[in-house]
Amino acid sequence: MTNQALEIKRLHQYFNRGTSNERHILRGLDLTLDSGEFVAVIGGNGAGKSTLMNSIAGNLPVDEGQILINQEDVTYESVAQRARLIGRVFQDPQMGTAPLLTVEENLSLAMLRGQRRKILTPGVKRRQRAFLQEKLALLNLGLEDRLGAEIGLLSGGQRQAITLLMATLQNPAILLLDEHTAALDPETSQIVMNLTAKLVAEQHLTTLMITHNMAAALQFGNRLIMLDHGKIAVDIRGAEKEKLTVPDLLALFKQRSGQELTDDAMLLS
Amino acid sequence: MDLLISSLSLGLLWSIMAIGVYLTFRILDIADMTAEGSFPLGAAVTARQIVAGVNPWLATLSDLLAGCLAGFVSGFLHTKLKIPALLTGILTLTGLYSVNLLIMGQSNISLLGRVSTVITQLSGLSPTFAAILIGALVLAVVIFLLVTFFNTEIGLAARAVGDNEQMSAANGINADNMKIIIYMISNGLIALAGSLMAQINGYADSSMGIGTIVIALAAIIIAEVLVQNLSFGWRLITIIGGAIIYRLIIALVLQWGVDPNNLRLFYALMLTVFLAAPLLQQRFAQQRRRQKNMASFKEEQHD
Repeated sequence: MTNQALEIKRLHQYFNRGTSNERHILRGLDLTLDSGEFVAVIGGNGAGKSTLMNSIAGNLPVDEGQILINQEDVTYESVAQRARLIGRVFQDPQMGTAPLLTVEENLSLAMLRGQRRKILTPGVKRRQRAFLQEKLALLNLGLEDRLGAEIGLLSGGQRQAITLLMATLQNPAILLLDEHTAALDPETSQIVMNLTAKLVAEQHLTTLMITHNMAAALQFGNRLIMLDHGKIAVDIRGAEKEKLTVPDLLALFKQRSGQELTDDAMLLS
Repeated sequence: MDLLISSLSLGLLWSIMAIGVYLTFRILDIADMTAEGSFPLGAAVTARQIVAGVNPWLATLSDLLAGCLAGFVSGFLHTKLKIPALLTGILTLTGLYSVNLLIMGQSNISLLGRVSTVITQLSGLSPTFAAILIGALVLAVVIFLLVTFFNTEIGLAARAVGDNEQMSAANGINADNMKIIIYMISNGLIALAGSLMAQINGYADSSMGIGTIVIALAAIIIAEVLVQNLSFGWRLITIIGGAIIYRLIIALVLQWGVDPNNLRLFYALMLTVFLAAPLLQQRFAQQRRRQKNMASFKEEQHD
């Protein structure tokens, strides 16, 4: 199988390396994602979920190891350089959009991800308007009539839905979702999550989704990874994942790591 | 009337410089001190060339490039070498002080007499009207070009960098390069203002940059306090108004008999007031709301 969207080899990440406060966050993590896989990532606090995400996106320089996206070595590329391969939605809805720019301007920026931006071409193109409206209409939030609105005036859920759209407009080689519904209310969270599933399925996007919500991790995606102490403790896919329940998952975690995993969403349901 | 006309002509000139400062101040959220060096740089480059007999229009355009170069240095120091923005400005400004002396060969060049400047080129007009005409013309072109640029693919990317750097990186925008571009445009405009100022005043002086940033910020803040929530283009236009109003206030102060030597103290005090005004306004409104709130509880007790 050569069709690997993401390949991480022996990834080590440290915080405060070389000081007495050194923490070894990722400990030789190996991970390969085949094209089209939708992977949910769970794990306790400090397991290395965010560190993994930031390493792939380029926000954290790699201490040791190698990262390939679509067989291209991006280990030492900056966030902006590897953006041509990556679509990303952050946990904080404020983070994924530019608040003073309009909905249309934000989407137009995302349309050019991975391309050379020109000085003599208008940033917002009239001929793209119908296409962008069509895409916005898919969100079902009435945003197709608000192309000219400043993004900062929209709600967190609307902004997150637009960020998701921006991340997927250009068919990224890998879609990174960093607890992207955690900051939303349950209802909006559900809308954004369903939207995510729809976009991922339609465009066959290879996706890595961090979540704190075990039910969501089981409901969405065709592979589940549990991180523990900077390594992959559990890796379940396909039919086996379909059968899995939340209690199974908690038991599995306790067995592998010797710790209790707390799931906020579990307590509520 | 004279006061109005002279304020108008100087205000127009100041607004070119204020628009330059606005780009770094509001798009990048940086008060770029380079302005204090690029303003006399523009004057020096132009004066030296005009004295040498170069066509004044050509001389005026060339200082735009000199200003861009100064902006590039500051932008490079700030983004690539990660030197804090305030310090970057001070470094470039200090260096430019020597550069300006080097260009001029002395601390002051007079442009009076038989030399040809953009003002003397418009020989049919009085110098003040020529200054107003040139100021208005330059502003029209500058604002048109800026609005056009900030709506291109690169311009939009540059605005995104100022608005949300993380988002812009995630969308493949090289934030450093965009910041450098804004630094360059900003200082190019400031140098252009310096060049025109030298030609209108009839001299270039190595110390003429002192107070540049304070004047520019005052014009910006006046514009922002008077008219709120505007699009980019309209904001630039209101800055012209801000600069003219500011110049008018200063002209009045001078007419009341304030010693011109105390003028910069006055610049600083005024800008302090302008910067603090929005906060004071807010505090005052909050105080009133609190009093109203407390009063409603007192009424309840009496019921």
